[in-house]
Amino acid sequence: MAADVIAPRAHLSFQTGAPVELDVDYVVVGSGAGGAAAAATLARSGRTVCLCERGPWRDPEHYPATVYGAMRDLWADWGTLFARGRSMIPILQASCVGGTTVINSAIVVRTPPTVLAEWAELGLGEVFSETAMGAEQDELERELGVTQMKGRQLMEHSEALLRALRSRDLEGHAIHRNARDCIGSGQCLQGCREGAKTSTNLCWVPEVATRGGTVLSCASVARVLIERGRAVGVSGRFVHPAPARGQRRGGSRFVVRARRGVLVAASATGSAPLLERSGLRLPALGRGWRGQPGAAMLGVYPHEVHMERGTTQGAASLAFSSERFKLESLALPLELLVARVGGAGVDYARALEQAPRMAMWVAAVRAEAQGTVRAGRLGPPVVRYAPTRRDTERLRQGLGRLARLHFDAGAEKVLPGIHGLPGELGPDELTALDSAPVDNRCYTWVLSHLFGGCVMGNDPTRSVVAEDLHVRGVRRLHVVDAACLPTTLGVNPQHTIMAVARIVAGRIANEEGTT
Amino acid sequence: MRWWRRRLVGVMACALPAGATTPGIDPDRCAELIERLRCEAPLLIRFSLHASVAVFLLSPLVTVGRPCPASWLSAENLDRHTARMARHPSYLLRQAMLMIKTVAGLCWGADPAVRRALGMEPYPAETGEWRRM
Repeated sequence: MAADVIAPRAHLSFQTGAPVELDVDYVVVGSGAGGAAAAATLARSGRTVCLCERGPWRDPEHYPATVYGAMRDLWADWGTLFARGRSMIPILQASCVGGTTVINSAIVVRTPPTVLAEWAELGLGEVFSETAMGAEQDELERELGVTQMKGRQLMEHSEALLRALRSRDLEGHAIHRNARDCIGSGQCLQGCREGAKTSTNLCWVPEVATRGGTVLSCASVARVLIERGRAVGVSGRFVHPAPARGQRRGGSRFVVRARRGVLVAASATGSAPLLERSGLRLPALGRGWRGQPGAAMLGVYPHEVHMERGTTQGAASLAFSSERFKLESLALPLELLVARVGGAGVDYARALEQAPRMAMWVAAVRAEAQGTVRAGRLGPPVVRYAPTRRDTERLRQGLGRLARLHFDAGAEKVLPGIHGLPGELGPDELTALDSAPVDNRCYTWVLSHLFGGCVMGNDPTRSVVAEDLHVRGVRRLHVVDAACLPTTLGVNPQHTIMAVARIVAGRIANEEGTT
Repeated sequence: MRWWRRRLVGVMACALPAGATTPGIDPDRCAELIERLRCEAPLLIRFSLHASVAVFLLSPLVTVGRPCPASWLSAENLDRHTARMARHPSYLLRQAMLMIKTVAGLCWGADPAVRRALGMEPYPAETGEWRRM
């Protein structure tokens, strides 16, 4: 059963004219995995909540179908945010009600015990113990209707990866997703038009509104209002999502006053810049920015695979977790496949004719690299980040594993997409992969799992928030999203972000005030 | 400006010509996409596209050793220039070609004729709507 869309009681979209002012118990900035989870938890406890989201609220029937439409309607800044380092690595995030939960593959993976042990070593094991996280993730899985993919949802593209992993006796599994009745339309990146994915715009955001809260969409928060060391609300301006030529993008100003507290969940690229714009000057603010960058290996098969059929991501392997990379199937829409296949011109056009016979699998690295995120002068944040040499070596190792798995699954050749290597490699040419350049400019990286910028910890000089996620030096201000996570996870982060946000929001709701 | 727009479409067509069984980029659809980008896309995308096309037009000297704009090259040399730019040692040149391919891909990959030729379903219409209330 697809998620029901609940009509909200109070939703304000783009406004012009007089400023909008609201008084609530809590204001939450950001409606993605962390923000919506926290807002719904607070609303369930009887508090009045205002949820502010920079992007518009789109329902599944209005999701785009093309990649151009997704860039325009859903992706943050048209997908133009890059991690700047030695190479430019695109960062994929959404800007709409529901945040990145609208365009991700809805993959649900529990926080690995090894990660929780690392957090405990950092002195963060009291709030986020294995028991507390486990109980919260149990509940989340029930609520979101998490199911394991099977049959028509997987199709040949993912089945082939599972077969290949089995043939080498490696761990492999069909992915668990918060997509109850996925029909395998292959449209995760453009938003699920079938409404099968329980993204937060279809469950918790409407719930906040029906529980007496208010949702502000197209509402860009400029700063957190801080008075006498205490967060008392947020201010910003409505922004038109698709202004006609000559039409002003900016609309009314808004101020939301929060009696009990402000929760920031503007993502790993947005939370730290928001606190910076709000005048916070903590030494660790914007630092400790991390990611799980990845790249793809394409296999060309003798038969048609049609990776656009079936769920976008259906199979994964954690067999190489100890080597700090994971493997997954990932179907790209044809428009994006064009950018991934190497070359240009006549020979390249011939290579693209093989698109129906291609399967794409990715290696994502639990990278060691750390970067920074800062507020940009022109609006979008500035992310400085470069995978280390060891990260690049791990990616190369992961791509080598994927190439061999493609041949195990029956591929005729692989398209490595690594600068310095031939455009195609046969089964006898794989040693070339092992000696591929260890220069991150030679790989087509993408960053989708992002962490840090407002890292939690016990050391005030190296953390922005304490274990209860309150911001150091400001009362009643919390960060409840991926920005606060102190390490990379090695797995998809949505489940962890939701659990962390709910645990902390539950604690806040149970307190008389907040810290 | 019309002259420049024809150049943009021409460069996209060089990057993504017709294959043996698939059509190449449709010039009319491509011109329409460029107009939509002009009206809808952020400055960074428009600037990157125009700069990338300018790099393409001005770089035959470093790819095929011809000191002339790409538009003066023979068909054979133009294809060689296109292919070499995509695999050039200079990261800047490769990124410029990646930008051209990305925009070309937005047009080509959504073209119903291309999708039909590859056995893929055409995309349904998009409303671009959002909740106003």
